[in-house]
Amino acid sequence: MAESLGTVDHSSLRVNQAAIIVLLVAAYVANFPWLSLFVAGVMLAGTLVGRPGFLPLYAGVLRPLGIVKPDPIPDNPQPHRFAQGFGGVVAAAAGIACLLGGEVLGWVLAWIVVALAALNLFAGFCAGCAVYYWLNRLGVPGFAKNPPEGTFPGMRPKRLGAA
Amino acid sequence: MPALPPFLLRLALAVLIAALAVAAFRLVSAGLLARARALAARLAEFEPGTPGIVYFTTPDCVACRAAQRPALKELKDRLAGRLQVIEIDAYERPELAKAWRVLTVPTTFVLDRDGRARHVNQGVATASKLLSQLARFS
Repeated sequence: MAESLGTVDHSSLRVNQAAIIVLLVAAYVANFPWLSLFVAGVMLAGTLVGRPGFLPLYAGVLRPLGIVKPDPIPDNPQPHRFAQGFGGVVAAAAGIACLLGGEVLGWVLAWIVVALAALNLFAGFCAGCAVYYWLNRLGVPGFAKNPPEGTFPGMRPKRLGAA
Repeated sequence: MPALPPFLLRLALAVLIAALAVAAFRLVSAGLLARARALAARLAEFEPGTPGIVYFTTPDCVACRAAQRPALKELKDRLAGRLQVIEIDAYERPELAKAWRVLTVPTTFVLDRDGRARHVNQGVATASKLLSQLARFS
């Protein structure tokens, strides 16, 4: 993954993951697909601006109240952004599938998002790392060799000499 | 007997799904540990007499560089000479990663003094988590 380390507040990521899990499970229990679409919208909006979707909850409520403390860590924000975007797409597909009558498919998709968020939140399991690792192991073209320094997985490497 | 309201049924199903997921994760981890127990003692880099951590990583794993490696360094500094850390590049030694059934990176196996694998962590393990795992058999 690209070597573009900045500082990522992992507390905001954990709050984001917790909110996604709670709301999607609530959507399932209440059989309310629109909530899944809301979560998807928040995740995709966050992906577009490069922030956790539920950052307002973290920064505006939880952190000022002292319920959570910042946890800044040198990290690359891109994989987290990718994971949120991917999760947002799947959560949107879940909501749409339910509204179109495919409830089983829809809620399975929602639970996949819940599972991946829970793995990250409780086990530190980096789904992006796992995907990239297995694509390399399986010898998938483009992933069979280590990418050049600064190349995001799946993206075309920058030209030599380019900034 | 009256049927459960749909809401309660779905709530019960949600709890069941969560419980099954946790059980599945623990089962996979237990299986990995059982396999690692047979392999750890044969690891050439391991020196018997000191607990160790076998740490599988890859060059492109940002979580490894940003979180796991600093946690291991903190642990080594804290335990000063009472811990050995064996870092393995899963791309350079794929046969080892395959033998240890590494499913993702970072993965850390916590070994006792005799080289028996006691814990496995799939994903980033903080220094405090590793320390508490080491303390269980020290």
